[in-house]
Amino acid sequence: MASPTAEYSQAQRLLLGLSLPVLALIAWELCARFMTLPSYLIAPSAIAATTWDMALSGELWRHADASLARALAGFAIGAAGGVGMGLLAGIARPVEHFYEPIVSLTYPVPKIVVLPVLVAWLGAGDASKIAVIAAGVFYPTFINALYGAKAVDRLHVWSARNMGASVVQVFFKVVLPSALPQVLAGLRIAFALSLVVVVAAEMQSSRSGLGFLIITAEDNIRFDLMYAAIIAVALAGFGGDRLLVHLRRRLLVGQMVGREGEHG
Amino acid sequence: MALLEVRDIAKTYHRGARSVPAIDRFSITVEEGEFVSIVGPSGCGKSTFLHILGGFESPDGGTMLLNGAPIVGPGPDRGMVFQEFALFPWRSVAGNVGWALEVQRVPKAKRLAVAAKYLKLVGLTAFADVYPGELSGGMKQRAALARVLAFEPRILLMDEPFGALDAQTRELMQEELNTIWQETRKTVLFVTHDIEEAIYLSDRVIVFTTRPGRLKDEVRIELARPRRIDVKKSAEYMAYRNRIWDSLRAEVLKTREETG
Repeated sequence: MASPTAEYSQAQRLLLGLSLPVLALIAWELCARFMTLPSYLIAPSAIAATTWDMALSGELWRHADASLARALAGFAIGAAGGVGMGLLAGIARPVEHFYEPIVSLTYPVPKIVVLPVLVAWLGAGDASKIAVIAAGVFYPTFINALYGAKAVDRLHVWSARNMGASVVQVFFKVVLPSALPQVLAGLRIAFALSLVVVVAAEMQSSRSGLGFLIITAEDNIRFDLMYAAIIAVALAGFGGDRLLVHLRRRLLVGQMVGREGEHG
Repeated sequence: MALLEVRDIAKTYHRGARSVPAIDRFSITVEEGEFVSIVGPSGCGKSTFLHILGGFESPDGGTMLLNGAPIVGPGPDRGMVFQEFALFPWRSVAGNVGWALEVQRVPKAKRLAVAAKYLKLVGLTAFADVYPGELSGGMKQRAALARVLAFEPRILLMDEPFGALDAQTRELMQEELNTIWQETRKTVLFVTHDIEEAIYLSDRVIVFTTRPGRLKDEVRIELARPRRIDVKKSAEYMAYRNRIWDSLRAEVLKTREETG
């Protein structure tokens, strides 16, 4: 008998998660067939057809490839800096105090607004886009790593010191694994953000990428193309997110046991 | 020469303009192989004293010598056991027990052998590959004890190690620690608020005054060893219990008056 808190099966979970998008798509498709919708709301079947054609011709891959390469490069640079500095700031007060005002001040500024400056400085190629993505990724990774490191159990550090660990060993073998759950939470946010920023950057100045595809499609009133590009962005984000969730499960085995109430 | 010689340790905490004296010129010596307990009312500074000995807090004054050498910071010559176990949740039980040897760069084969030896001693051989999150409180404390024994400290510093356990588990753990002590003859300094536990385990029981902690009383426990748990039913044991409780009672009452 199912209690209110009983775990339901994987299939039921999938069904629940898919019900809203599938119902919306069906409603949309029906409306497109039997009513007159504005031109920007093309039938999902037409969008699917265009997406399929573009995938077959290789054009969608080419743009997706360009976007992903930029997003991942910016993500890697921004996350390395954010996680590294965040962990350091979490254990060393002076480092935290050094970053605190500048982070508070610049965090709310959409990083995309500095793209023109970066273009003037680094040129209109990939470097300026990667830089703006890295800047965007820095904040959530920094803040999460900072609080992850600050929340390290004092007794864990004491035990480690008691067992003869050096300060460096405490950092890598206690602070890092302790902060890992929160670091990974930051990486998840940052990955989605890297796609947001790459698309925005490509919409402003680019000759390739999904953002470029979207803006070109809009300019040419090719809404089917626009939707195809949007779908590609969503799928890339979904794939990356699943990968990070999987990584989290693999890395946090010990921290997840005995805490069955938590999901993810 | 005694293994541990502590003279005139003092510690005062400063909270804003207020200063709270925690320990007032406390001295103690512990001989090699001796099991000494410190009992006192809660908040009397007995845990603080252990943290100072562990090298995690610094005293305002006084001297501390372990085997003749001054204590200046944390180190593996002293093995800390905490009430909250402090096991690393991301490492398996064996990973925790071998951790100290790992940071000391002992080869893996040796590490595993040492871990296996101490897991056997505390009866956790079957749980070597399990994560601490899956263990009960008593098993966690046994794992923590194995972790500390594995790096072979000169002295064990145990800070209310059974304080987080339920009454039945606590009693079993006392028996188990008694057996382990009988086998290893480690020098132990054991902080607790439980008089019965202190008498059963110790060669000597130190009574702390209420805050600031000072030496109030010292009782040598001359119950024959090895001790079985039924020693707790003996008249001798009850006499020790009454003697220490009378000493402690006045201090506990003082604490009550202070805190309302």
